[in-house]
Amino acid sequence: MQTEDFAADAALFARLRSVWEDVDPMPADFVDRMVAAVAVEDLSREYALLTLVETNLAATRSDSDTMTLQFSDGTTTVLLHITQTESGKHRIDGWVDASALAVRLVQATRELPADLGEHGRFAFDGVPAGVSRLKLAVRDEGGDLHDFQTPQFEV
Amino acid sequence: MTDIDRSEPDGQERTGNAWAAASDDSAAPARWEHAADLFLRWREGETRAMDELVRLMSPVLWHVVRAYGLDRALAEDVVQTTWRTLVRRHDTIIDPRAVSGWLTMCARREAWRVGKLQRRADPTEVEYLEPHLPTHESAEHTAGVEDDQRRLWTSVGKLDDRCQRLLRVIAFDDRPDYARIAADLSMPVGSIGPTRQRCLGKLRALLEGDGWRDHDAN
Repeated sequence: MQTEDFAADAALFARLRSVWEDVDPMPADFVDRMVAAVAVEDLSREYALLTLVETNLAATRSDSDTMTLQFSDGTTTVLLHITQTESGKHRIDGWVDASALAVRLVQATRELPADLGEHGRFAFDGVPAGVSRLKLAVRDEGGDLHDFQTPQFEV
Repeated sequence: MTDIDRSEPDGQERTGNAWAAASDDSAAPARWEHAADLFLRWREGETRAMDELVRLMSPVLWHVVRAYGLDRALAEDVVQTTWRTLVRRHDTIIDPRAVSGWLTMCARREAWRVGKLQRRADPTEVEYLEPHLPTHESAEHTAGVEDDQRRLWTSVGKLDDRCQRLLRVIAFDDRPDYARIAADLSMPVGSIGPTRQRCLGKLRALLEGDGWRDHDAN
């Protein structure tokens, strides 16, 4: 193959890239979601720590097997509602007042990814009892990504 | 541009690098070099360099994975798995310059694995690509460019699945690992260079039949 053939191949590949970028573009927010997924996975990262601001543990222990926890750093707030299920495991429904891009629950021997809903909602199903910590990556209204972790709490 | 040594069949690797370099802005480093630099900085403790690496390479991984015929949701899962695998197993990458090749290889393996499961679970025709151009118009797309794009896309659609996949992977992977692509596509290693040329040749024939002139990329 001659140099001009090679240059023609290069030009054709460049055009092919552009066609595929047009006809099959990445989903909206795809790159942000990938950044967030890596953020909650990366142990070398320093996560901003949310602190426990409220728990109604005492109140709920008596009426049923539910517990509500609230964490905040003054700007971002996370609410967790933990319910024991019939199987003896737990369901955690969570909400954060920002757009949740990735949320993981970290326990001693396992990590669970959350099902993400709309408007900052997320959920974990079938969570075994144990000491847990939440890691999350969110996007604020300005479009910036932040990653947080909570202190450990007992499920 | 210097002449490319094409005397040996495995000179394909160099060809792949060279065309990518040629098609990029020549002042900027090649994407794989930029990726290597970010990866190194992340390893040295600069945690935010990973964000940049993810932003640089995720678009490439999207197209590489979609070439395997996965639906969009599965493709996103595969790219995410690829990144998580990098974070967990980065210490197995001895040469940081290999990181972009490692990522595309990992994504191709995972796409191939997941694609096989998907095909087994769903024996009906796997969705490949939406067979039409989106109708949006943007300022930089003149009518002529749109027309060319449409012709190119129509011709690509007439190629067999294997050619479509191969051309798409090569188009986005600026360090093609031909041995690995061959294994993934169940083709003998020696055939990948000729296959690429055969696929390009077919595409050109289709384009010429449609009145296409092979002019320079914009």
